[in-house]
Amino acid sequence: MNRGLVRRAFYEMWPSTLLLGLVLMGVEAALAYVLPTFSTQISADWLQMEFVRNIMQAMLGTDVSDRIGPHLFHAMAWVHPVVLALTWAHALICCTRVPAGEVDNGTADVLLGLPVSRWNVFLSETFVWLICGVAMIAVALAGNLLGGLALAPEQRPALALVVPVLINFFCLYTAVGGITWLISAFSSRRGRAMTIVFLILLVLFLLHYLAQFWSPLQNIVFLSPLHYHRPVDILNSGVWPWGDMAVLSCIGGLTWLAAGFVFARRDLCTV
Amino acid sequence: MSLIHLENLTRGYGRRRGVEGVSLSVAEGELFGFLGPNGAGKTTVIRVLLGFLRPSGGAARIFGKDCWRDSKAIKQDIGYLPSNLRLSSWMNGASALSIFGSVRGRDLAGPGRDLADRFDLDLRVKVRDMSLGMRQKLGLILTLAHAPRLLVLDEPTSALDPLMQRALQDLLRERAAAGHTVFFSSHSLGEVEQLCDRVAIVREGQLVANESLAALRNRAGHDVVIRWRDGTDTQSLAVPEFLRLTRREGTVWQGTLDGPAHQLVDFLAGQAVEELSIGRPDLESLFGRFYQKSGEARP
Repeated sequence: MNRGLVRRAFYEMWPSTLLLGLVLMGVEAALAYVLPTFSTQISADWLQMEFVRNIMQAMLGTDVSDRIGPHLFHAMAWVHPVVLALTWAHALICCTRVPAGEVDNGTADVLLGLPVSRWNVFLSETFVWLICGVAMIAVALAGNLLGGLALAPEQRPALALVVPVLINFFCLYTAVGGITWLISAFSSRRGRAMTIVFLILLVLFLLHYLAQFWSPLQNIVFLSPLHYHRPVDILNSGVWPWGDMAVLSCIGGLTWLAAGFVFARRDLCTV
Repeated sequence: MSLIHLENLTRGYGRRRGVEGVSLSVAEGELFGFLGPNGAGKTTVIRVLLGFLRPSGGAARIFGKDCWRDSKAIKQDIGYLPSNLRLSSWMNGASALSIFGSVRGRDLAGPGRDLADRFDLDLRVKVRDMSLGMRQKLGLILTLAHAPRLLVLDEPTSALDPLMQRALQDLLRERAAAGHTVFFSSHSLGEVEQLCDRVAIVREGQLVANESLAALRNRAGHDVVIRWRDGTDTQSLAVPEFLRLTRREGTVWQGTLDGPAHQLVDFLAGQAVEELSIGRPDLESLFGRFYQKSGEARP
């Protein structure tokens, strides 16, 4: 890692981290307050409808009929599409900076004209991305706790239960980041890289979603990283999801490593 | 000692042409001009030198090290200014110097300020608020501030006004006098002629010339006007091979002299010449012929 590169990456990543982080905090606070507050009403009215139950099941990735309770609503705050969209957007913005963004902007010439190896650049960018990613997850937790303050104490989830959900959520974030790094490593156009990653994530999201309705997809649902993010199970059982975290970390780690090798070996041409 | 050494360097872009079989050496302390029309392959050579592109054939070495494998070590002592320079828009001159200094592990603020004074640039202005010329000046400051042994400048004067072009030329001459080497890529003959000792010309991906400017001047044509004394029988005089006449009226011959002027002086010695005028070597037309596409006339 190189101190100067870390400074440069930090200066360029903090505005998007701050903006998305604040929105994420607001959304988490709203979800943490609204869903448990109206849980009785939702359970009584909405969850009796099969269609709504299916949608909830699709989002949570598990059968909800026998799990209706406070944890179901707390878990929703960690699988809600808006929450996923915000965190994944952050990963997309940060992980397409190098090399796709630098080549696309034309700044790669100046950056790589400096006495740094490509691995130096890659590691420095990754370091700042992970710091910003931790900050994103931290503000999400802050929003969640903030929303919980408006609830009665007995309605709030125990922090000890939320922590493994949060770490699992961060592993999901790194998996998405790893895939994004890999696509970016092959690309010289940031917009193209972002579009490809967006389409991949959309397909993986839909795979996980539709697998709850169409049983043949159950055979391949393991391909979706969302399959390894099941907060309702964690909140109900209190068991750390070591297996899921390992799978997500492997996806993130291996794709990131492959991205590093591709970036280190590829030709770079800004014209 | 040869600082840059290219041997049969080949690099293509699929179907697009890159460079093919380029061989050249640049010595330490030399002001080396690298000329060619747009798209000839100048930037491709520079990208190989900087380790952005891997050669598909041949070898590229700087300081005796391989440009692809040892790119990081080589760039410790290189200052590189790309053509079409882009800098992050949020930076200003001072923060750019601070970050670049941090990357290089040295304080560039002092030398950066000196250079900014010389180029008349306010280091507090953000890149996004800078004109093209100001950005180019900042790029030059960032390239020169660490006093590198080798400067690789890709069309560095493109956005500079004539005053700043002269300031840059003076600075580069000073650096060269101090033993630094300048690899100056351009498509403009004029600035290379003013600055460089030696030039290489690349055309359609191949090197078509690599020699000193003095040697090129000897090869270049001179505009010549000869006025014979009244009554001289000019019709009976044989025109030498090195003189291409474009006008032959009465006692006036006008044309182009190919090669050095002394051969014409030797030819005219003892002849009835009233007046002789020999113009400066016409490098422009020589380079024009170098730049012509294959199949067209060559020098």
